[in-house]
Amino acid sequence: MNELAEPIAAPLAAPLAEPRPRVAANIADDAQLIAACRRGEARAMERLYHQYKRRVFGMAHRIVGASDAEEVAQEVFVRIFRALANFRGDSALSTWIYRLTVNAALSHLAKRGRRQEVGDDGLTDVAAPPVAERDSALASRIEAALAELPAGYRAILVLHDVEGLSHEECASILECRVGTCKSQLHKARARMRDLLGDSLKTGGNS
Amino acid sequence: MTCDDVRPRLTAYLDGDLDPDRGTVVRGHLRTCDACRTIAEQESVLRDGLRDLPTVDAPSGMWANIQSQLAAAEITESRRPGWKRALARWTPMLPRFAMGGVLAAAAVGILWWRTHESVAVEPAPNKIVDVASPKIESSAPIAVAPKTGCNLDAPAGTDVTVDLAGEAARVTACYAQTAAELMTLARETRGTWTDEQRASFDVQVADLQKAVERAEDGRPRQRAWRAMNRYLQTTLTRDQVALASAVTP
Repeated sequence: MNELAEPIAAPLAAPLAEPRPRVAANIADDAQLIAACRRGEARAMERLYHQYKRRVFGMAHRIVGASDAEEVAQEVFVRIFRALANFRGDSALSTWIYRLTVNAALSHLAKRGRRQEVGDDGLTDVAAPPVAERDSALASRIEAALAELPAGYRAILVLHDVEGLSHEECASILECRVGTCKSQLHKARARMRDLLGDSLKTGGNS
Repeated sequence: MTCDDVRPRLTAYLDGDLDPDRGTVVRGHLRTCDACRTIAEQESVLRDGLRDLPTVDAPSGMWANIQSQLAAAEITESRRPGWKRALARWTPMLPRFAMGGVLAAAAVGILWWRTHESVAVEPAPNKIVDVASPKIESSAPIAVAPKTGCNLDAPAGTDVTVDLAGEAARVTACYAQTAAELMTLARETRGTWTDEQRASFDVQVADLQKAVERAEDGRPRQRAWRAMNRYLQTTLTRDQVALASAVTP
């Protein structure tokens, strides 16, 4: 069989991507941080903010768009600090924060209504942040395509593919089954492929 | 395996979520099917592209805004009437209270049913046996009440109806015994407390001890002992939590 003698293309030979650095689930650190925040220690609160600000703002940015991202991220942090006293530790702190962020972002979109939901007009809103030259074109297209997806697809893609969370973590955050999470991811990627079309064929360099 | 079988599995395959057997089957199909291989390559590029998206930096002034919002929220909170604050605090627990209420109602119902089913017992003379309560000193070692003082089982051969007379005293002794044991534990962890915590603890214990001494025999004294035990248990639990999540300065 000639086909078997052919060199194996990258996605065939190496289906497993390098694992993205996961959210450090350092329970002891989190416990200390939570305890200090509950005591109202300003330094601990600031540390928690700096520890999670990129993830919270990044999620909000990609789900609601650049114009409302700061508003949503601020709302999330205010909720975090006000609700931390009631945090029971049933899930990791990072999972809880992601859940608050996704819920706040989706609620914000629902409040904003369909007419303002990021669509074609919103693409300029979700300008790609500065990136390295080599993949800036593909990154910009991906950001724009991401903004065109329904909010639920955006959430699962950002959590799993951008943030690098596992299906189990995504399911916990989105409060759905792992199977649902996998199926949503598959559909979301299919929509992204449709939106990006030929951009993906050449690795985005076209 | 056809394209229709493979394509729904491509995402799982590329993420390494397929078991080895199915992975081999999908890989075998991809070797021979250009259309599916193209999709796999595109999805792989997409996945890597998403993974490599740059992080988005939060605006520099965001922390200041959050602090302002937190301060404003605290001011608003402080101006709310107490009953509204209490309501807001308890509202999330309503489902649990409802469940507790149902269970309590069921327990009362069963108790009532059992009571009315059983044969009425001639009440014994209501003679309360006074059992001395151990005096609790928060900073000094205290003697643990003798084990015999906390035995709720009537001795063998005792007429239970008569023995009821000493019931209240024995229950009181049990509470006292528990308090003494908790105090022993408290003294063990006392060294980790701050001076203020120690002082506060001593004052609280002294007040509760006075309440015990002032209370009348029977249920009032049992209530006072329960208050003491609750305070000691809360303090010890707090210690355990604090020890578990001690903040390194």
